[in-house]
Amino acid sequence: MKALVVDDSRAMRKIIAGALRKLGYETVEAADGAEALAVLQAGPLPDLATVDWNMPVMDGLTFVTQVRANREYRALTIMMVTTEAEHGQIVRALAAGAHEYLIKPFTVDALEEKLGLLGLLPEGAGA
Amino acid sequence: MSQDVVELEGLEPDAVEDEALAQIVDQMWESYFAASEPFLPSFEPLEVTGDVLCASVGITGARPGLVTVTVPRAAGRSLAAVLLSEDGDLDDEDVYDALGEVANIIGGNVKALVPDAGALGLPAIAAAPPLPRTGSRCAARLDAVWQGHPVSFVVWLAGSAATAPATEV
Repeated sequence: MKALVVDDSRAMRKIIAGALRKLGYETVEAADGAEALAVLQAGPLPDLATVDWNMPVMDGLTFVTQVRANREYRALTIMMVTTEAEHGQIVRALAAGAHEYLIKPFTVDALEEKLGLLGLLPEGAGA
Repeated sequence: MSQDVVELEGLEPDAVEDEALAQIVDQMWESYFAASEPFLPSFEPLEVTGDVLCASVGITGARPGLVTVTVPRAAGRSLAAVLLSEDGDLDDEDVYDALGEVANIIGGNVKALVPDAGALGLPAIAAAPPLPRTGSRCAARLDAVWQGHPVSFVVWLAGSAATAPATEV
């Protein structure tokens, strides 16, 4: 399985990508929504995108909206991974087309639980 | 959705106070810095002086705010090394990025406690804490010692609040 990790913080990209690789994912990274769209355009489509909300150039909500406007990307599962913790923000992200929402700070166990709920835990992960 | 907002038990909205800040910082520390030395809260305010790094994020909305994380530069490098799981020399950019993410995480969770909050700004790094807006008060503060260094977390909020202003500028 392949995941696209979108976050403007290199430290956070490293944490998320590291956790995903331990679960068996291949990962590719992008520092903002525009970079992430370029990754999608270059293909192949990953199974999962973890997306931060507040980023320069193009924020996560705009990225989600643009991805959902393109039918070629409909198979992409999106999980927001962000510090935006208000209920209203969660509702906005889900309404825009995100499938799940994980609030920073998070534990690796919480990430794994979310992936399990999405049916995106690679076989043998967590064993 | 299985998990909603970060649960801060017993706290009402607009409950930006020392205890709430301490819970947010505790959660962050457990998530990302648990493998490092313990984080020892101080009952006395600690002064962070000398070669200092301060990461800050702004909060817009009805009660604009500012969240700052101030550490000696050496502690900033250590924090970045733990967050990035890297032992070698780190670029300044890595240190700024990691410290900025710490401020970002705290800022986002603080914002969730502020009614009618707007947007969270992007993190900024400076050699001293930025001045809060005129009329802001220190809504919450947490000082601690980590690896022998003082670490200070401060939340400034504008406008009225349930509690009396502690420090106003």
